[in-house]
Amino acid sequence: MATVQLVTKVWIAPGCIVCDACETTAPSVFEVKHDDGTCIIRPAALDAEFTKPLSNDIVQAAEECPVDVIKFETIDVPAEQAPAAVTASAAAPTETQAEPHAPSPSAEAASAAAPAKASPHKPATKPKEAAKSMDPAVAALIAAATVRGGAAGILRAAGDVPPAVKGIQKLSPDKLPPDARYAKVLEKSKPPKPEEKTRRDWMVRVGWIAMGVGVGGPSLLGFQRFMMPNVLEEPDPKVRCGPLAKFTGMQPGDVNEDFKNTGRFWIVREEDRLSAVSIVCTHLGCIPSWLPNDRKFKCPCHGSGFKQNGVNFEGPAPRPLERFKIGIEGGEVVVDRSKKFLAMGPNDTAVWNDPEASIPV
Amino acid sequence: MLLLAVRETTTLDRLKHVVNSLCAPEYFVSLTVVLFAVALLWYRRWTKPAIAGTILLLFSIAYFGSAADPNFVKIITKPDNVPITMMIFLVGFFTWLALRLGAVNDERREKGEPLLEAGSDDKVLVWPDLVYTELICLVLCTVVLVVWAIVLKAPLEPRANPSAIPNPSKAPWYFLGLQELLVYFDPWIAGVLLPGLIIFGLMALPYIDKNPRGNGYYTFKERPFVITVYLFGFLIMWCVLIVVGTFLRGPNWNFFGPFEYWDPHRPVALLNINVSDVFWITLPSRYPKLCPWSPGLPTQAALGGIVPAYIVREAPGIALIGAYFLALPVLLAKTAFQKLYAQMGLARYVVFWLLLSWMFLVPIKMVLRWLFNLKYFLAITEWFFNI
Ligand code: SF4
Ligand code: FES
Repeated sequence: MATVQLVTKVWIAPGCIVCDACETTAPSVFEVKHDDGTCIIRPAALDAEFTKPLSNDIVQAAEECPVDVIKFETIDVPAEQAPAAVTASAAAPTETQAEPHAPSPSAEAASAAAPAKASPHKPATKPKEAAKSMDPAVAALIAAATVRGGAAGILRAAGDVPPAVKGIQKLSPDKLPPDARYAKVLEKSKPPKPEEKTRRDWMVRVGWIAMGVGVGGPSLLGFQRFMMPNVLEEPDPKVRCGPLAKFTGMQPGDVNEDFKNTGRFWIVREEDRLSAVSIVCTHLGCIPSWLPNDRKFKCPCHGSGFKQNGVNFEGPAPRPLERFKIGIEGGEVVVDRSKKFLAMGPNDTAVWNDPEASIPV
Repeated sequence: MLLLAVRETTTLDRLKHVVNSLCAPEYFVSLTVVLFAVALLWYRRWTKPAIAGTILLLFSIAYFGSAADPNFVKIITKPDNVPITMMIFLVGFFTWLALRLGAVNDERREKGEPLLEAGSDDKVLVWPDLVYTELICLVLCTVVLVVWAIVLKAPLEPRANPSAIPNPSKAPWYFLGLQELLVYFDPWIAGVLLPGLIIFGLMALPYIDKNPRGNGYYTFKERPFVITVYLFGFLIMWCVLIVVGTFLRGPNWNFFGPFEYWDPHRPVALLNINVSDVFWITLPSRYPKLCPWSPGLPTQAALGGIVPAYIVREAPGIALIGAYFLALPVLLAKTAFQKLYAQMGLARYVVFWLLLSWMFLVPIKMVLRWLFNLKYFLAITEWFFNI
């Protein structure tokens, strides 16, 4: 009868090199604690009912662990009683998995428990011994890491652990109850008591503040002075465009480009009025060209298009072209660039009806 | 003889015409995406040196052979554009190299053989090995740059003059991808947010993806998802957009085929509409039964003036964007990304989704623009907030 193995208990023997592999495979069971230099079983996973459905992941994680420190105990159950998650992926039990994985003084566990004694080349040879049971990618990873000075790193990681873990490392793993180590690590990982404030700390803080004020204050003042120069050169916002008669010849739909360079606007004739339309694209500030044949303004930068009256209709520009204040002073058409009329959208051009925004013709 | 020549030109012209029409943006980008998918699916087959070499040969013939076309040669011989030719070949080469090594490693791994990198020792001494290598590189680079600067003159153009603007106005070649984004997004998104996300996203990658597989050796099979996502971002959303900006964008920023004359007077009508227009005007006028509201953009504030009119107007867009950025990740975390979510935890998943969603918003919006002339999902021009 087909049986399936379910994991009832999982724990980690000393020697973890904090490689993250197990957490990647079974994140709900393993938690890698880089600060403690080890990996723990999450509290929820200390429960057999929790681990059973995750059996496949746990077995896979144990196989992938480069130093083989993940241990687990299994029970055999008939396939039909097993949780669906385990049977679904049909992990056919292999010979090695069929052995009980109870803690045993195996060669690997012993060597992992005494990292200080292992020679630096030990991990380099290990993948070969374990080549059959180990994922070749991980084996290659270790081999590569070893050549690059990783062996020392592995040993250091295994040796540089909190004293509580060191104490456990001295014990043979089969003497340890599976959860004792977890309890000790947890106790060790509690946040340390806050240190008392010393006078030195106070001096340092005052020093930093003094420096901040000393350097920041004057620079702020200097910056502020810089932003307010004595002389500001700004062209006269008023552009005189000549007598009105100059523009009365324009037909509805015409665009006068005479002031594109000097005033940065076009004089545009709509049905019953003349207005001054800014030449700056409302998208990102390029200057569109007037295409008389297509009767539209077209921007060369990202392709925005505007109708003859400046209303945006293609491309990314969100708003129509802006308009300047226009009026007649002493018989002359004068455009005042200091006052703009912004329409917020193609359907939202009511501001242009302002008497200052156009000259009726 | 003459007849033959005439017939040849016509077949050639027909071929050019086919290429030109395939270079309409919707076809061009779909084709590159299909090519990308095929390249990753069959990465073991096409990366074999013989096949890859043939591809390179055919592509080079097509590319440099196209220089016989007067319009194409104008593009590739522009001094600004010389690096693009280099980019196309270099990016192709390195993509091939990485996939090839990954393919070899994946095969070895399946057979249980040691990987290419096993036992390799890439340590070198700083002095003399590294310093000498660096010195030689430095000298070579300087020589290449000096020669390049002498042979290909940097275009120094006349003083800026609003009545004589270059048409099209193109950014430096390496920014053409970003300039292409500006066609679809507001300046603050395309010019600030997206480049910022690219930079910070690349910096955040090591913290988002902590999976040690693939560290120190080439592979594709072990990390298909991450490699695909990364390459999509780099190849399609960066390199292909540069190619689009260089070869396919002409006067008035219209699309032109690579063999097409850049006619500034070619009429192209692109009447763009927002989601709000579709929802409030097109839908009710076309399907009055399904959408029983009267056509026309809402101009009244709702709920006694608490909700301003533009929020009512943009409600469909807000719902769409909200669903994409907020509801979709929750849905995915419960379904397709379940395992990913368990591995990442909330914080990393949020960052991951932020980056992924913005990256995919770009092609989504491009396709919608080309197919449906969609302008903005959300157009609150009152706040300069358009997505
Ligand atoms: S060494 Fe083993 S137990 Fe430690 S993190 Fe890696 S896979 Fe997990
Ligand atoms: S600046 Fe005019 S379209 Fe972008």
